Amino acid sequence: MLEESKVAFFLAKRSIVRGNKGTLSLTILIIGMVFVNLIFLPSIITGVAVLFNQQSIDYSYGNLVIEPKKNQVYITRASELQRKLERIPGITGVSPRYLTSATVAYKGNVVNPVLYAINPRDEQGVLKIGTKVSSGSYLADGDTGQIVLGFRLAGNEDEKLDVVPSLGGVQVGRVVDVTFNNGVTRQYRVKGIVTSNSFSVDSNAFITKEEYEEVFGLEDLANQVLVRTIETGKENEMRNTLLSYGVQEKIWTWQEKSANFLNQIIGSFNIINFIGTAVSLVIAIVVIFIVIFINTVYRRKQIGILKAIGIDRSIIIKSYLFQALFIFAIGTLVGGVFLLLILQLLAANPIVFPGGPVAPVVDVVLIARSTMSLFLVSLIAGYVPAWITTREDILSAIRG
Amino acid sequence: MIIGRDLTRVYGMGAVKVRALDGVSVRIQKGEFVGIMGPSGSGKSTLLHMFGLLDRPTSGTILIDGVDVGSLDERSRTQFRLRRLGYVFQDYALVPELTAKENVYLPSMARGMTPRECTLACSEILTLVGLGNRIHHLPGEMSGGEQQRVAIARALVNRPTLLLADEPCANLDSQNSRIILDLFQRLNRDLHQTIVMVSHEEWHKKYFDRIISMKDGVIEKEERRSEDGEIAPTS
Ligand SMILES: Nc1ncnc2c1ncn2[C@@H]1O[C@H](COP(=O)(O)OP(=O)(O)OP(=O)(O)O)[C@@H](O)[C@H]1O
Ligand SMILES: [Mg+2]
Repeated sequence: MLEESKVAFFLAKRSIVRGNKGTLSLTILIIGMVFVNLIFLPSIITGVAVLFNQQSIDYSYGNLVIEPKKNQVYITRASELQRKLERIPGITGVSPRYLTSATVAYKGNVVNPVLYAINPRDEQGVLKIGTKVSSGSYLADGDTGQIVLGFRLAGNEDEKLDVVPSLGGVQVGRVVDVTFNNGVTRQYRVKGIVTSNSFSVDSNAFITKEEYEEVFGLEDLANQVLVRTIETGKENEMRNTLLSYGVQEKIWTWQEKSANFLNQIIGSFNIINFIGTAVSLVIAIVVIFIVIFINTVYRRKQIGILKAIGIDRSIIIKSYLFQALFIFAIGTLVGGVFLLLILQLLAANPIVFPGGPVAPVVDVVLIARSTMSLFLVSLIAGYVPAWITTREDILSAIRG
Repeated sequence: MIIGRDLTRVYGMGAVKVRALDGVSVRIQKGEFVGIMGPSGSGKSTLLHMFGLLDRPTSGTILIDGVDVGSLDERSRTQFRLRRLGYVFQDYALVPELTAKENVYLPSMARGMTPRECTLACSEILTLVGLGNRIHHLPGEMSGGEQQRVAIARALVNRPTLLLADEPCANLDSQNSRIILDLFQRLNRDLHQTIVMVSHEEWHKKYFDRIISMKDGVIEKEERRSEDGEIAPTS
């Protein structure tokens, strides 16, 4: 076995050293590009997923979302729950809130956004919306008669620029009419406009929890309580901790809350990615196959001679396998270098998605998977043509 | 020692059949230098292919050193060629990507010799064929005569029981032919190398111990050269 490999290696090495360098370099380049392609798109997709996940946490849900018990509309004694939660180690922020739909009207524009009623300080301990004020300022505890709008909801005077129904370019300081679903209408001064790049934030509106309770005559209730934890990724354990502290309400993780939306996006990305990967691998297999096949056909006579002087067919096949693996190895290396350059370029000029700049995520698993699949493809694409050509009987091969 | 019994080789299926060998029985003793002669198409190469295990007879058996080579599978036949046979082709058949030395090195390496042993065997054999100083050239950079000597060195490097040569001088001028034939004669006399060589040049006859003449796939006559150079039919 080892003897055979030695001879095969010897033949492969000579073939590479004394063979056509142009073809070899081109082949290596193609394999390098395939390698880049195998890694790049998935790394961007993972980057987008990471971005969206972070957005879900930072602008929509925190890490955990507590909702009312079955068949109840509200969480009762919200502040007691809040205090209980705040004492649990690992929790850094707790924000009780109401969600309702409301009708907002301004200068004849009527829109039905979701209205969030929050305790601004608590909310800022969980979400980052408060840091994304693009004009005016964010709500403060105790604010009444004031509203903060997402920039898409506020909209533009030129309707064509709007992507969702908007208030037609309302600005800070103006007054909008809000009609709640209990029929009460009130006027609110626009205190600030937020531009967070999170769609749900930017197309909705915020008032204080105090204001809301006053309108509805409620006290110490909430539709949901958002919880921020120190560590992301330990949500299931934290849920168990919460249960052990006697929390009886429903507890969701942010993954569960955003699952549908994210899965849809990632699902369609994955289809694109799958097609891209398949096409790349097919290109790799075809290129290596053709190169090795032409190599063997071109050396038909030589293969006959080798067999005639007593070199076993398996050695000859192996020598072509080694050549294919050489192409794979150098191709992967070249691809790796290209990838590094691209990543560096992207670090300097990031791709900006709705939601922020995307950092490509190149992890070990992705690299290992791409390298492995390229390795297997090279093995097959080296083996099959060598196997086919070496099948010919000695005399007809030698006669050529 | 080679024994071929009732060898036939029929080419072509169906109506048009060519009987390249039509019942050949032959026996070659250890240490003999045998010439196979005869007109074109008489079956000389076909017979040599049988001895060289490059082809299988349609019927008949071949024993080499007591081994019924017809019963071996492909892998064993390849091993047999590597270890016991040396084959020299008319057109040299060197591997163009390998230098002279590497061409000779290859069979010894495949046989499992250590690099030291290989290098030693190579330089020894290359010196023997008179190519001590051209060993790092590629075949394309050598003359026909030189290439053929590399091919002979390659055939000899594993010390084969039997050296087979199919018209090794056909592409060479008479001077180079003589170098090759003298080399064969030396190998035969000094190292007792058994050689079977195909030729159609009359003047080659004086080198052979025995001459087998073929015609239409059968042995037409056999002659033996005595010590004083007289060539006479065998009884
Ligand atoms: N592959 C083949 N297919 C069909 N017929 C073949 C094949 N090889 C050889 N023959 C036929 O077998 C016969 C013997 O051929 P062979 O090559 O042994 O002759 P030869 O004595 O070596 O001739 P030469 O002196 O020209 O080399 C010829 O009639 C040839 O046409
Ligand atoms: Mg012939």
